[in-house]
Amino acid sequence: MESSELERFEAVVLPHLDAAYTLARYLTRNDHDAQDVVQDASLRALRYFAGFRGAGSGEGRAWFLAIVRNTAYTWQQRHRADTLSTEFDEERHSETVADEHPEAALQAQSQRAAVRRAIAELPPEFREVIVLRELEGLSYKEISDVAGVPVGTVMSRLSRARRRLEDALCAEPEDC
Amino acid sequence: MTHPGFEAQIDAYLDGELAPPDAVELEEHLRACPDCSRLERRRRAVRVAVREHLPRFPAPDMLQARVRAQVQAESRQTDRRRAPTWTALAVAASLAVVAFGSWQLALRDAAGEAITNQVLASHVRSLMPGHLTDVLSSDQHTVKPWFNGKLDFSPPVYDFAGGGFPLVGGRLEYVDGRPVAALAYSRRQHVISVFLWPAERGRTAGPRAATLQGYHLLHWATPAYTYWVASDLGLPELHDFAALLRRGDSAAAATVR
Repeated sequence: MESSELERFEAVVLPHLDAAYTLARYLTRNDHDAQDVVQDASLRALRYFAGFRGAGSGEGRAWFLAIVRNTAYTWQQRHRADTLSTEFDEERHSETVADEHPEAALQAQSQRAAVRRAIAELPPEFREVIVLRELEGLSYKEISDVAGVPVGTVMSRLSRARRRLEDALCAEPEDC
Repeated sequence: MTHPGFEAQIDAYLDGELAPPDAVELEEHLRACPDCSRLERRRRAVRVAVREHLPRFPAPDMLQARVRAQVQAESRQTDRRRAPTWTALAVAASLAVVAFGSWQLALRDAAGEAITNQVLASHVRSLMPGHLTDVLSSDQHTVKPWFNGKLDFSPPVYDFAGGGFPLVGGRLEYVDGRPVAALAYSRRQHVISVFLWPAERGRTAGPRAATLQGYHLLHWATPAYTYWVASDLGLPELHDFAALLRRGDSAAAATVR
């Protein structure tokens, strides 16, 4: 790779490491695998970067996230036995209660736990569209590029994912 | 009961992904249909709850360091690949001269050179996915006991987080024909590998530095241990780190006495 290409890689791909790691965390559900997935994905991204013609930061993000996503799925197929046995939800085990307003803190905490549990229980194809849309703010078109499905499918997956979340979070009518 | 065709439309509407004419039509329907407008309110609540409570995860420093190391390795590899054979020879010759000039270690013997290469290879290999640590912990009291039963010595493990060099973890390596302790520390986005094993009696050596393939290596020997340190960190900072290690060792030795 030319050094100018490496500079382009650093400018176009590396700024999205946080987004990549967040997606990998939600797909693999643990820190260690997520780090390995992102590292593996960035190596692939380096190798295939010559074929990437986009220039904008948004295009770079979608392109890199698509690689991260595919790497995560391949990774899980290969390490299924491992991930099932070592899966550990750090978030769920490291909740802390704020000192002030203990009741409000408890309520917020239980809602936070409920949201995370509901997300964790979504099938991966629903979980990823929620993460890409709500956390990364990707457009339907960008999500369709990352997930490799038509925009119409993105739209219906997002809607079905939200229906499941609604069912999980709005068990009591006054909740929502 | 909501109108089935409208459910996905409502989500797309909230996402701002509905074409303007469709959005106008949907808004008219929401005003007329209490069921659909209740659904719209619930979906808004779900979106708010998700955005408020779902964390983003910043990439850990260690991951950033490993990815950047890959990019550097790639550029070095490219430089080598692009050199035609005859220039490669010339480059190799000039590198040999440079290496001879900057090579301050008293390592003329083949054995010493072999160790240098092994240390460098181990460090570079540790930067590849999944190889950095066998025990991943910033707690010295987790890392040190991990070596029990794996080595015939218990390596000193320090946490220099206060000095800006947090401990990352440890792993086993095989250097100079024996299993040795390898510790990983980090400095911003750089990884530092420390290799150590019991010293041969009476052979102490002051710190010597060498630079190979863009990596800096430091070597010294205390009465107790032979040390090798490898990193892409700048040499002055690497010397600071080595000073911390040596201070840690002499403090520990003083306690024993």
